[in-house]
Amino acid sequence: MFKQITSLNGNEWYLISSLWMFIIFFITVAILLIKMKKQHMDYMRHLPLEDEPEIPEELTEKN
Amino acid sequence: MQLETFNYDNRIVRNFGIATIFWGIVGMSVGLLAAIQLVWPFMNFESPVTTFGRIRPVHTNAVIFAFVGNGIFMGVYYSLQRLLKARMYSDALSKIHFWGWQLIILAAAITLPLGWTTSHEYAELEWPIDVAITIIWVVFGINMFGTIIRRRERHMYVAIWFYIATFVTIAVLHIVNSAELPISAFKSYYIYAGVQDALVQWWYGHNAVAFFLTTPYLGLMYYFLPKMANRPVYSYKLSILHFWSLIFIYIWAGPHHLLYTSLPGWIQSVGVVFSIMLIAPSWGGMINGLLTLRGAWDKVRTEPTLKFMVVALTAYGMATFEGPMLSLKQVNAIAHFTDWIIAHVHVGALGWNGFMTFAILYWAIPRIYGTPLYSKRLAGVHFWIGTLGILFYAIPMYWAAVVQGLMWKEFTPEGVLKYPSFLATTLQILPMHMLRAVGGGLYLSGALLMTYNLVRTMRQGKLIANESAQAMPLEPIQFTEKSKHRRLERKPVLFMVVALVVILIGGMVEMMPTFMISSNVPTISSVKPYTPLELQGRDIYIREGCVNCHSQTVRPFRSETARYGEYSKAGEFVYDHPFLWGSKRTGPDLHRIGKKYPNKWHFDHLMDPTITSPGSIMPPYPWLIEQKLDTTTTVAKITAMRKLGVPYPSGYEYQANGDLDQQAKAIAADLKASQVNVSPDKEIIAIVAYLQRLGTDIKVTEK
Repeated sequence: MFKQITSLNGNEWYLISSLWMFIIFFITVAILLIKMKKQHMDYMRHLPLEDEPEIPEELTEKN
Repeated sequence: MQLETFNYDNRIVRNFGIATIFWGIVGMSVGLLAAIQLVWPFMNFESPVTTFGRIRPVHTNAVIFAFVGNGIFMGVYYSLQRLLKARMYSDALSKIHFWGWQLIILAAAITLPLGWTTSHEYAELEWPIDVAITIIWVVFGINMFGTIIRRRERHMYVAIWFYIATFVTIAVLHIVNSAELPISAFKSYYIYAGVQDALVQWWYGHNAVAFFLTTPYLGLMYYFLPKMANRPVYSYKLSILHFWSLIFIYIWAGPHHLLYTSLPGWIQSVGVVFSIMLIAPSWGGMINGLLTLRGAWDKVRTEPTLKFMVVALTAYGMATFEGPMLSLKQVNAIAHFTDWIIAHVHVGALGWNGFMTFAILYWAIPRIYGTPLYSKRLAGVHFWIGTLGILFYAIPMYWAAVVQGLMWKEFTPEGVLKYPSFLATTLQILPMHMLRAVGGGLYLSGALLMTYNLVRTMRQGKLIANESAQAMPLEPIQFTEKSKHRRLERKPVLFMVVALVVILIGGMVEMMPTFMISSNVPTISSVKPYTPLELQGRDIYIREGCVNCHSQTVRPFRSETARYGEYSKAGEFVYDHPFLWGSKRTGPDLHRIGKKYPNKWHFDHLMDPTITSPGSIMPPYPWLIEQKLDTTTTVAKITAMRKLGVPYPSGYEYQANGDLDQQAKAIAADLKASQVNVSPDKEIIAIVAYLQRLGTDIKVTEK
């Protein structure tokens, strides 16, 4: 599948450095995630649900 | 601290909602017309303004920037106010944003059929409209950040991160890809040429999909899906991980649109690898969405909004799996330039964007009008018609793609192409094109049904233009939050800067070496600038949108070199402002068409393609024989090209029209010898000159 990656004529530096950039970035985000508290997560998850009342019952669609 | 009372601005949400519906129907109707023309070309009504090459960008721009664009703004203006517990920063900016965006769309709807196009896909609009887009986008940004700054909720919910990433990335993409040198009020040349132009365009094109069709819709999904299901999002941690991974990886994947072209191999490989990696964050979003419905699947049976959302998420999952698969070189070799790409795009556009837009409209319009939906049953019918429309669209396109892709590559046991006539492969898939038009018609019918349903809903309710709400004001921060990400979630400007850095990394790593290291684009000494007549002919080629059906890049496959000739080299395109490689072969590649046929063949073919190619679905271009070539622009064009680095001698612009006349007379004389009487000052002479030049510089070297 990745046959093309083995013959880059010296340009593999670009590919390897790109992947390293992503790995470092990904690990940084993962560490930030691990450090976050569950309480904050739960609060943030529920944000969209607390913003407005639902359509009144008497207006429930009849069709 | 006292509870504050304030209002949400629902009028702007309603306005964008109506614009979404209106432009959606316009864009889909134009798409249907284009689809019908791919079976019956006479459906262009013999007018240049309704011919496929010109209306295809009308369709794509209308659907992407008018339908989806207005849908984004509708959803953002609705959700942003509620997530931040604040009215939009400025009603005046909201109005400027709305009317400015509609005027831009109107300008596009007028200029594109007139052939005023840059030819860059999804960025066809000419420079004055590009400037207007920049201004209106900044207005949107000020309004959004102003609202964020005046918020009553300290932390920004994940949906808002996606909105911020969308704003900043689209700004970068639009500015970089709109670097043009104007030569008149509605004509410009890109400052980039050939391979570099191709890289910039597909960095833009791919990320327009990413940051206009994907990230804002993920933001909308994170707000509206929990609302519709009345369940919190499945995993907030997953949303953080998938947000940062998505915006980091997406920006690298553009080069997969240029596999096997003369783009440097290392960039192609980087594009492939990051495209494969993209599956993970994309599916992270899809899984997070679908799992949000856990415990609420019973509602899917009865709620049309959730039905639309489930299909939207499924289509997103399919398209984001298929995209990386198409990036594999082995798959791309068969699928690229075929209808597979059209199917892939439409699974995303019709399923993901279209269905989520419908769901949001069905959900938001009743709420801002304080009334239930007029008819759930009609919405259900819309859902099934729309779903059938997607299936009738996509399945025939996949079928057509596999049939045609394999026919292009098939050799006889004797070692020659089994289908040397490109037209034979086109005619084979016409029934599939007919079915595709049926699918498009079904989808449009569903949208019309929705329009009726929503109009009746609006009539039975009354717009709550200023919806009252209450919230506590933000208290001053008393302590430092330990979590860095939590701190980031309450600092919008810092968040924007971090997102900007993240998206710039990929673009810079790929583009800077291509621009700065000359070995990435080797020059060829025999490649010379276009003559003035060829340059004028090239601009007619751009105006008529020939690039929408014909590629100009021969890939290094035996099946392509046997059909078209020598494969294309990077050095052959160094004077091409813009590049015209195309992305779809409804007709054959034209890069080696030069000198392949006599002038008379091209004249006949443009006048009526069925003369030279019986059964052809290419439309005739009789107006090229009638219209006189405008040579008043030659001086400005040559001057602009020299400024961009094309080596025309100093002062050549003043003798260019003399050379143009001479070459035109030679072609007219040659046509006359073949019993064709046409004046040398007609447009057809220029486009024949251009076509006869294509790919011939390499042939000179071979002699």
